[in-house]
Amino acid sequence: MKANPRRTSRSASSGRPAPSPGGVPYIDHFHLDTADLRKILGLALSTGGDFAEMFMEYRTYDFVNMEEDIVKETGESVGLGLGVRVLRKGQTGFGYTNDLSLDKIGSAALTAAAIASGRAKAAPARIRERRAAGSRYRVLRPADKAGLGKKTAMVREAYGAAQKFDSRITKVKTVFQDSLQYVCILNSDGLLVTDARPMVKLVCSAISEKAGRREFGFWGGGGRVGLEYFETRLTPRQIGEEAAREAILLLEAVDAPAGRMPIVLGPGHSGVLIHEAVGHLLEADFNRKKTSIFWDKMGRRVGSELVTIYDNPTIPAYRGSYNFDDEGTAPRKTLLVERGVVRGLLQDRLSAGLMKRPLTGHGRRQDFSHAPIPRMANTYIDRGESDPEEILRSVKRGFYVASLQGGQVEDSGKFTFSVSLGYLIEGGRLGAPVKQATLVGTNVDILRKIEMVGSDLTFGLQTGTCSKEGQDVPVTDGCPTLKVAGMTVGGRM
Amino acid sequence: MTAAKNPAGLRGLAEELVAYARRCGADEAEVSIADGREFEVDVRKGKIEHLVEAGSRVCGLRVIKDRKTAFASSSDLAVSTLRRLVRHAVRRTGLSSRDEFAGLAPLSKKSVAADLLDLFDPEVREIEARTKIRMARETERIALADKRITNSYGADFGTNEVLLVLANSSGFSGEFAQTYCGLSVGLQAGGTNDRVEDSWFSSKRHFKRLASPEEVARTAVRRTVRQLRPRKIKTQNVPVIFEPTQTSWLMGFLFSCVSGTAVYRKATFLAGKIGREIGNARVTVVDDGLIPGEIGTRPFDSDGVPSQRTAVVEKGILRNYLCNTYAARKLGLRSTGNADGGGVSPGNFYLLPGTTPPEKIIATTKKGLILIRTLGHGLNSVSGDISRGAFGLWVEDGEIAYPVSEITISGNLGRMLHEIDLVGDDLEFISPVTGPTIRVAEMTVAGR
Repeated sequence: MKANPRRTSRSASSGRPAPSPGGVPYIDHFHLDTADLRKILGLALSTGGDFAEMFMEYRTYDFVNMEEDIVKETGESVGLGLGVRVLRKGQTGFGYTNDLSLDKIGSAALTAAAIASGRAKAAPARIRERRAAGSRYRVLRPADKAGLGKKTAMVREAYGAAQKFDSRITKVKTVFQDSLQYVCILNSDGLLVTDARPMVKLVCSAISEKAGRREFGFWGGGGRVGLEYFETRLTPRQIGEEAAREAILLLEAVDAPAGRMPIVLGPGHSGVLIHEAVGHLLEADFNRKKTSIFWDKMGRRVGSELVTIYDNPTIPAYRGSYNFDDEGTAPRKTLLVERGVVRGLLQDRLSAGLMKRPLTGHGRRQDFSHAPIPRMANTYIDRGESDPEEILRSVKRGFYVASLQGGQVEDSGKFTFSVSLGYLIEGGRLGAPVKQATLVGTNVDILRKIEMVGSDLTFGLQTGTCSKEGQDVPVTDGCPTLKVAGMTVGGRM
Repeated sequence: MTAAKNPAGLRGLAEELVAYARRCGADEAEVSIADGREFEVDVRKGKIEHLVEAGSRVCGLRVIKDRKTAFASSSDLAVSTLRRLVRHAVRRTGLSSRDEFAGLAPLSKKSVAADLLDLFDPEVREIEARTKIRMARETERIALADKRITNSYGADFGTNEVLLVLANSSGFSGEFAQTYCGLSVGLQAGGTNDRVEDSWFSSKRHFKRLASPEEVARTAVRRTVRQLRPRKIKTQNVPVIFEPTQTSWLMGFLFSCVSGTAVYRKATFLAGKIGREIGNARVTVVDDGLIPGEIGTRPFDSDGVPSQRTAVVEKGILRNYLCNTYAARKLGLRSTGNADGGGVSPGNFYLLPGTTPPEKIIATTKKGLILIRTLGHGLNSVSGDISRGAFGLWVEDGEIAYPVSEITISGNLGRMLHEIDLVGDDLEFISPVTGPTIRVAEMTVAGR
């Protein structure tokens, strides 16, 4: 009963953009033809805007939720809408609608056009479709084609595995979600791109209980993949067991130590620290506005020679990956920090234009009701040369970060992270597990104090979402084992 | 797409879909429709950066058959799409498990007249775009006139108008329109390498009640510059004074710990503690969905249950969890009218004020920290543990001595509720989850 089942399945299952015989793929969701689209772009430019763009979106989403030992609910949703953006000298006008009648779209275009006031300077260029060179998505068995029964079975499997892991597991919750987002992006330069972006996610949380004490564990996976991922890469059973393992481990955890000490960041999960503490501040908008601590540090050394940081939206199958960003730009692996020196920023069209820098393909938006802004995709510290074991052995007394729950940073570079699971380091070895610690610091301080970088680059769970200015987008991050000379750990005395 | 102007159409659509779901075999059905209009302008360094104006609608469906539940939602309000989603949902109930607690709320005998709640200000729609732009500009201009302010994140003026319609097969059918408007500005002070930042805002349902650009700007400037030239401190245990903005997040955390959903999931340390002493006698917390004109006010919740005033904590005794219909059934309690989608959300949830002026709280603190901002998550409702990055003002001999940064505060909500030793008289509904200035007798502040 989907609006366009035939074309969707081909695109999602092959992982290649759908062919578009005689027209624009996916456009039939929107009941608009190319003549209409050019007319709307013309309307958007009618008051003297420099650039106009339409973002059309049709998204289907399913979920299955199991808790209290039952499959409690299932859901299906359909999102349909269109956003029109007009740029004029660094100013943005934006309108959106989910009523796709021509007059409503026209009035959204006129709303966006209100940012300018004058006569039309240019007509929209002739529309040319641009195809992706290859797809970042890896889908053999598309989730949107699978019956809900299969998804429910996976949810049950993860749930059961967590529950059976240990008798001290008292509550489990498991959720499966999948979505397929069709986008069609068209602008007054004549660019037209379409894409069908698949996403799946299976997560499990577990609560353990012992003598009145309760602890929480979490695990999950997914990405821009099909259901085969849960057979070959990470099984529902592993997801359930890992969530339970963490919850059980934390029952024995001690309170965090407080004060300044050497820190070893474990591989994978600690990538969120790089995302928060460095990645955000290299988003172009914060630098154009000079609010980021990095705005005047391009080409300058800000960290240890051991630190090289990239953001790469082209890694196959990852949550943060895409064939085109939400402005229709083909993304590039972008060097941000090279051996401690700031080399690049994450650009969207607006900032790149104002800063006269090339596009990097990092203009993203949550959905049609938001204008794009510079965002991360898959951000990581590149691998180094140290043996992870050797890194641990080099610390007599310190703190090991095994998994981070999340963090926050401000433009000055000051940040905070919540460590959901850590360990004391005693005599170069992991000691007792530690719960609920907080790390605080400033980004340039930590970048300078990175003393060792491991050879074990790993990405964190494929479950992450990043929020900025009220917009959520899927991301991943990664890092090898890292040693930081000293950071403030917040715990109890 | 004008909210409140053409409600019959959407109300009729919702009722029609409920009937259609019943015809498709659902035992129970519920349909909600939100119809919204928004306007937002961001001004930075005097220039409009971003101007948004739009309308959108979304429809949510819940169907129950044989005590099995399925949900659906759509922003495509074409009747054919919605009917298709209804049919899918009814079919999909077969894949859920039977849940004896599933079901709609019975039709309540009481109802709250939306008109008396003062949720809608017709003036909000009438404010001209240029007035909104002028107010945002004015706010930023006043702030930037202060020489200590070195950069701006921009000022923002936004309005929102939403019509909510709800109909279900228990016989409930209702709607209400509400408005919001907000003005805010974000600032930086200091040089590139010793930046501090903060912001301030005013958010109201009524345009006339919104703080002036002058007031928003002055507050933002004051809050920003007071953090300049911070010092680091040694790790120590001291009294911590929470400014109202900080009491707000603490109350938000308490809310998540008394939410009926968290209780039946055992995801809160307050599960099983009704009637027990969870704090000292200074702690009285109320959830009130009926205060006229406030942001957290609504005539009925998303289950169609009328809003009410609920005593949550009375002089330290835990009296009630906040429940939607489902959580209430699970726990053998009554709904408190806090349903929000599938979950639970607060009305106006606040700590009742005490009698001590905030200046006096500071003056009676020999050594301690005034908490002014926090960063990061660090809230664990399962254990009540709190651990957050913080910014503050250090207090010595009853006076503010200097700002501090790169610290974390840690404690446990369960213990803190017993250790609140002073409660300010300065309650204001800056946001719907809030409280006055408070002092917690001892927390760990980690620094160097």
